[in-house]
Amino acid sequence: MSIQSDNLSETIICAKNLSKTVLTANGSLTILSDIHLNINNGESLAIMGTSGSGKTTLISLLAGLDAPSSGTIKIDGQSLTTMNEDDKARLRNQFIGFVFQNFQLLNNLTALENVMLPLEIIGQPHAKDQALNFLERVGLSHRCSHRPPQLSGGEQQRVALARAFVTQPSILFADEPTGNLDQKTGNTIIDLLFALNEENKTTLVLVTHDQLLATLCNRTLMLENGKTV
Amino acid sequence: MKLFLLACRLLGREGRSGELTLLSFALIIAVTSATTISLFTDRLETTMASQASQFLAGDLVVSSPTTLSNDWLDVAKNLSLKQTMTAEFSSVLMENDGFLLASIKAVSDGYPLRGTLKTTDNNFNHEENVAQGPQPGQAWVDNRILTALNLTLGQTINVGEKKLILSKILTYEPDKRGNLYSLSPRLMMHTANVSETGILKPGSHVHYYFQFTGHDDALNSFKQFSKKRLNPSQRIMDIHVDRPEIGTALNRVQKYLRLSSVIIILIAGVAIAITTKRYSERHFNSAAILRCLGCTQSQIVKLFITQLIILGFFASFIGCLIGWVSHAGLFTLLKSLLPETIASANPLATLFGLITGMVILLGFALPPLLQLKKVSPLRILRRELDPIPTQSGIVYGMALLVISGLIFTFTLDIKFTLLLTLIASLGIAVLMGLIYTLLTGIKKLESHVNLNIRFALLSLVKNKKNTAAQILAFSLTLMAMLLSFSVHQNLLNDWQTQLPKNTPNHFVLNLFEHQINDFNADLTTHKITSQPLFPIVRGRLIKINNQAVQKRVSKDSQGQRAIHRDLSLTWSEQLPDGNVITTGNWHKRTRPFEVSIEQKLASNLNITINDELTFTIGHANINATVTSIRQVNWDSMKPNFYFIFSPDSLTAFPKTFITSFFLAPENKTALNKLAKKYPAITILEVDFILNQLSVILEQLTQAINYLLIFALIAGLLVLAATINATLDERLHQSALLRTLGANRSLLRKNHLFEFASLGFFASLFAVLLHDLTSFALYHFILKITYTPNILLWIVVPSIGTAIITLTGLWNIRKVVNKSPLSILRTH
Repeated sequence: MSIQSDNLSETIICAKNLSKTVLTANGSLTILSDIHLNINNGESLAIMGTSGSGKTTLISLLAGLDAPSSGTIKIDGQSLTTMNEDDKARLRNQFIGFVFQNFQLLNNLTALENVMLPLEIIGQPHAKDQALNFLERVGLSHRCSHRPPQLSGGEQQRVALARAFVTQPSILFADEPTGNLDQKTGNTIIDLLFALNEENKTTLVLVTHDQLLATLCNRTLMLENGKTV
Repeated sequence: MKLFLLACRLLGREGRSGELTLLSFALIIAVTSATTISLFTDRLETTMASQASQFLAGDLVVSSPTTLSNDWLDVAKNLSLKQTMTAEFSSVLMENDGFLLASIKAVSDGYPLRGTLKTTDNNFNHEENVAQGPQPGQAWVDNRILTALNLTLGQTINVGEKKLILSKILTYEPDKRGNLYSLSPRLMMHTANVSETGILKPGSHVHYYFQFTGHDDALNSFKQFSKKRLNPSQRIMDIHVDRPEIGTALNRVQKYLRLSSVIIILIAGVAIAITTKRYSERHFNSAAILRCLGCTQSQIVKLFITQLIILGFFASFIGCLIGWVSHAGLFTLLKSLLPETIASANPLATLFGLITGMVILLGFALPPLLQLKKVSPLRILRRELDPIPTQSGIVYGMALLVISGLIFTFTLDIKFTLLLTLIASLGIAVLMGLIYTLLTGIKKLESHVNLNIRFALLSLVKNKKNTAAQILAFSLTLMAMLLSFSVHQNLLNDWQTQLPKNTPNHFVLNLFEHQINDFNADLTTHKITSQPLFPIVRGRLIKINNQAVQKRVSKDSQGQRAIHRDLSLTWSEQLPDGNVITTGNWHKRTRPFEVSIEQKLASNLNITINDELTFTIGHANINATVTSIRQVNWDSMKPNFYFIFSPDSLTAFPKTFITSFFLAPENKTALNKLAKKYPAITILEVDFILNQLSVILEQLTQAINYLLIFALIAGLLVLAATINATLDERLHQSALLRTLGANRSLLRKNHLFEFASLGFFASLFAVLLHDLTSFALYHFILKITYTPNILLWIVVPSIGTAIITLTGLWNIRKVVNKSPLSILRTH
């Protein structure tokens, strides 16, 4: 299910006073502090910053994978901070897709089965047809029955893209999607990501080190020491 | 339903990847052994019980001094029970100027309902099984009657006023009871002739036995009915009470078989726990991805548990099938030793295998699997985020609960179950303490050793909890295997000591004092070694501390049976072989009228040291003081006595002598010579009792050996599972080390040292646990004295270390052979 909206300026992700502090052996460590962020429906946002600046933490908070120490996050008007783990899981299944630097495919499953998985979780009928359709769109219909270890890095990331888009999510979170790939393969993936994004009218939140990639997005958010600059 | 289908699909995909092979294999082994043992013991027990009922010649026997009333027998008839009756009484036979006290047994049509009689003509080589007793007008006799009275088959013999034709020599009757003094030579006749003999008059001393067979339900109803109607002189007989020597052997074997089942299941359970732990750890990532893709925590749990249950069901089903084949194989293997017809398999026994499979799977696999529920979706971005492990208390608690449940199901003995569970929990706690102390000690060594073994020590101490669990798993497995083997060995030794090769198989009674020298000389001529001769005076216990003995006994007790008949009283200067004083001191030679009493009778009659006992012997009464209480081995086939007096207590009374000796079958003719020379003596041939017993023991020993194979397979599986569980980490570490330039020899040395240490410590702890458990087991359950074997402390660590090292090296061979690049890529 995707969020239907014709108004591109409608806010789909809204974060206020977002902070994340963790306890370490040497006392508490602030990873993010006082982040305010509005992302509009259909917008693409690049989050940039040096290693340890809090990019991954921010994306994990926005996607409901982790809970903030303080502040609020709303996805399509629903408050993530008041949801329990299971509600967040349902929300992810319905609204959110992920692409990760290290692909995160299940090695036991074939490419096709990996793409079918999110549909199977919600018990959607014709999962196979839809998955085949998306594999075709990423150019891998001939490698359906191969398992991740038999695929190259670029191919694995394409499978991951197909899996991310197969549920037709409203928001796609991508964590350095080209980080593990060479320049040429990376470019292919980026082209594909943006094409699918355009086609599905998905809101894209992208973490990257790549300045070029950031320029492809509508907006860039710079993080330094856990703060926006 | 959707989730179920998804679980099926995921399981199919997992199965294809080989991820579940070891887990399935462990479960199949557990269920195979549970099913085999359940089916085998069930069928064997039913067969044995029916064989045992042969020893009573019926499934249910009522003994009574009078005939049972017709309405009683009508009830049996209405329940469609088959019935027969035997009457046993004594009578003096007189023929050809000789006379002999014989034990007459009159049998009705249909006797014996269970088992067969064996007879022969004059040629002893030809013995035939006969399903029916003698016809009216005929008599079958012990050969001794023919020799003593100078008769041959075909002649007639007078039993009271009735003439019967001697038609067969009786060599075996299934329900011949071991009460030695009722075993005068046998004459068997038909009940139809009893009244014509004129022997039985009102008040005559006679025992009637009413045998019944039929369906279990009908027998039970009849038993309930009979119990209400019994008067104090009537009794329902039971194999465990009336043939104690067979009852005891059966009891012990049943206990052993059931304990073996628990042990094998415990070992397989350990394998299941270990493989599931690895399975679960390898699925942290999958769980995180699933969570990320929108699975709720409860969906994750349901998804994995459903897979587990489906897998469990299929593996259990396969296990049941293999178990069925395996138990059939076992029966085929033992065919020559087992009775021709084996009771048919009870479907419930197969179902038991299936249920056991599911229970152990859930008991051992659930706790590690539940960890998947706690996997955070954030792990997808931060791989180092492992879920909080399931509390050890829950892991061990569940396993303990399942095992206790199984022990109780197998033994139906709550005291034993609690005791064993308590000991096991304490044992594991103490063992864990010891292992942690050991690992802390090893950690201190780490920096002082060279590189060849430093990584081995590092792997041991790096994750103390894992190493401790590994040592614990090895120890428990080795201990269980050891226990299975040593109980088996001790059980056999115990039986062999009970019935050594030359166990006396003949008793001689009614020998007079003046015949002793000649008799001993004759035994020497025939190369027969006999037990000491004991004098016998017949007497009855009438008072305890001047109180009538009847007031002390409870109905149906050993005490009641002992005081209602004349007992054989003896005296001896020495404590006879095989008797052990449990309380008091053996009497002084110089003090007459001191008496030693058998332990069970003493407790039955509530007799303690210094009690004053009054006996009536002939027309006289004598008093004696109890100075000791003895434990007696009634199965020893040596003369045994309830009461042994100090010398000079009974010299005033007429006495005869008793002894027992071993006679080889080929030497049997010596018996006839002895019987002819000493016509008044009674020779009891008890070889058939011993034969019955040794055949049973041999059969069961074979069965027990077979069960050990399962323990062994399960044990090896644990080793493989444990090593496999650490494979990923080892692969990664060795790949890194090799990338840094370590050669394979260095890795091999490290692995060798690591496994050898694991093996050595696990073996040591296994022997320790084994000795402790054995002591409890022998002392409380099997009631056998436990003697620790020092040799175990040397043999087990040597063999254990070797096995664990070799299995370990074999299982991780690919760690040193696989290319580091391919490992680092996949990890």
